[in-house]
Amino acid sequence: MTQQSRVGPPPPFDPTVAATLAVVHETMPPDGLTPERIPLYRAAAAEVRSRPAEEFTRDGAFAVQERAVPGPQGAPEVPLLICRPTGAAGPTGVIYYIHGGGMVMGTNRHGADDLLDLALDLGMTLVSVEYRLAPEHPHPAPVEDCYAGLLWTVEHAGELGLDLGRVVVAGTSAGGGLAAAVSLLARDRGGPALAGQMLICPMLDDRNDTPSSIQMAGLGIWDRTCNDTGWTALLGDARGGPDVSPYAAPARAADLSGLPPAFVDVGSAETFRDEDVAYATRIWQAGGVAELHVWPGGCHGFDMLAPHAAISVEAREARLRWLRRVLAS
Amino acid sequence: MVRELVGRLTALDPQAGAAVQVIAYFDALVAQRAGLEAIVRGAAFLARCPARLVDDERRLRVRATPDGSTSDSPEPAAPHWPAEEIVPGGPARVLLERPSGPAELDRMILERAAAAARTVLERTRTRVREPAEILLDARTSENERLWAARRLGLNPDEPARAIAFPDRPPLVRPAQADVPQDRRAGVGPAVNVLDLPSSWEAARTALRLTAEGTEQDPGPRVLHAGELGPLAVLAAHIHPGAPADPDTRALDRAAASAPWMLRTLDTVAAASSLRAAATALTVHHSTLQTRLAQASRLLGWDVRTPAGRLRLHLALIARRLHRNP
Repeated sequence: MTQQSRVGPPPPFDPTVAATLAVVHETMPPDGLTPERIPLYRAAAAEVRSRPAEEFTRDGAFAVQERAVPGPQGAPEVPLLICRPTGAAGPTGVIYYIHGGGMVMGTNRHGADDLLDLALDLGMTLVSVEYRLAPEHPHPAPVEDCYAGLLWTVEHAGELGLDLGRVVVAGTSAGGGLAAAVSLLARDRGGPALAGQMLICPMLDDRNDTPSSIQMAGLGIWDRTCNDTGWTALLGDARGGPDVSPYAAPARAADLSGLPPAFVDVGSAETFRDEDVAYATRIWQAGGVAELHVWPGGCHGFDMLAPHAAISVEAREARLRWLRRVLAS
Repeated sequence: MVRELVGRLTALDPQAGAAVQVIAYFDALVAQRAGLEAIVRGAAFLARCPARLVDDERRLRVRATPDGSTSDSPEPAAPHWPAEEIVPGGPARVLLERPSGPAELDRMILERAAAAARTVLERTRTRVREPAEILLDARTSENERLWAARRLGLNPDEPARAIAFPDRPPLVRPAQADVPQDRRAGVGPAVNVLDLPSSWEAARTALRLTAEGTEQDPGPRVLHAGELGPLAVLAAHIHPGAPADPDTRALDRAAASAPWMLRTLDTVAAASSLRAAATALTVHHSTLQTRLAQASRLLGWDVRTPAGRLRLHLALIARRLHRNP
């Protein structure tokens, strides 16, 4: 409550983002995702789920394969979508990508197009993982699936033609949170060395009580209500309580040292603004490397929602530049 | 999450309320007071093809592609591309680059984009100055004037001149470029780009000394400031709205007495001799003598003497300065 009284009016959306939101809100309200509506939202995503793998070859620029690889102990296999540049002579770097969808929806097809753009520019392989979803599969199922997929990818680097010196984990929204968690797991379990973690508007904090989450309630995309739905699906009654694992909500991690260089981007007009800024800040405070972009007037996922906005063009360029830099070093 | 929404959005379905979505989009842009570039981006995004806004008078050219890049294209607009005038009959238009002709929603997108652009142009008309206006205003900072010069396609290191017209915005041209001869104009001297305000002032003075070149307003239609000499000093002393001097009033009276009067007097004042004036007027020498006797009576001084001709010349110029404030 004291926080709420300190929060000003919501920062304005970028005009192009606002106009695109006006169209989106014709069919989908900002606070639309409640637990009962999860099946409805999943149904809307079914079309993307059924896209054949061949659609990701980019006219032959990538050789695409689907692999079901061993999951965590006693769990089902994890489906990976693997896109390797056909022109690559030797081992390539790899982007290990974790899709978004609020922990409750999405597949390894979701967001893959955007990451393929980056992979194409950089001659990298894209591995997109599909993880079990909450609430049917609460924590730690999603993050352990993602980690298992990463381990398999690294162990099969020879077969897949990957350069283990250039492994970057990336994720969008819930996937951004999972990418941060996978980076923590890799550090804590002595797992694969990562060249970087690219956290695109990541979902990091189950407490859902930052000034930005309060400020943006009922606005934009993925507001506080949706966020509550997602975290509660993942954590049940434990959400917001004292015992939440940092591998579920990386904002809970007490120690952010010893992590791979981080890239964090987020809109100024979204729920996740403050938790994402805080995460980058805490990495610096721990002596780590992070690059933070807060795009003015961006809503959650603005670059996917309004790819034609000027801030979207610049956000995509910033990701490409960062990847180039971390892969060169 | 977001991707599913975008999946729907990129497939605007004409049968499923897409028109409402187009309206919602541009209404929101207007409410946000978005600029012209955002409007062109929106048109490109919704139409799924590159869009342009062009205004040759303002030298405005904005182009956007559906993915949000704003690179210009050397390709000229094709006449069959769907287009909409921002103000009916005006020079500004929005266009969609559709080599294969208009798609179903194009008309709606163009109409809404043009309406949104109209509000921007109306809003900014009083605040935003044309590059030429900025370049010719000595009170504007040098940086801003150099920016304006580049916007006008001028090389800041090469001299240029200002040209004034009675009925249209100023023109700034490189020193070597041709000066338009088809309309009445005062031409300023070629100067450094940052000295253009002085060229503009001289051009406006020259313009005041031009005439329509008709029977009732004889004289040169195009004048270069460099030709004025001390006439520029005279011009500075005949202020707009000042009461006409007696010689100007006498000229007006004489002009009213005969249709040939003003042109005859102007030709005589400019010619090297009366014989040359008669030839230029295609009248017999004796006819000219008769006309000048009549004119001298009406004016009150003899225009056939050297001093009288000088007085006539100055009176004609004073009359023009009174007529062209």
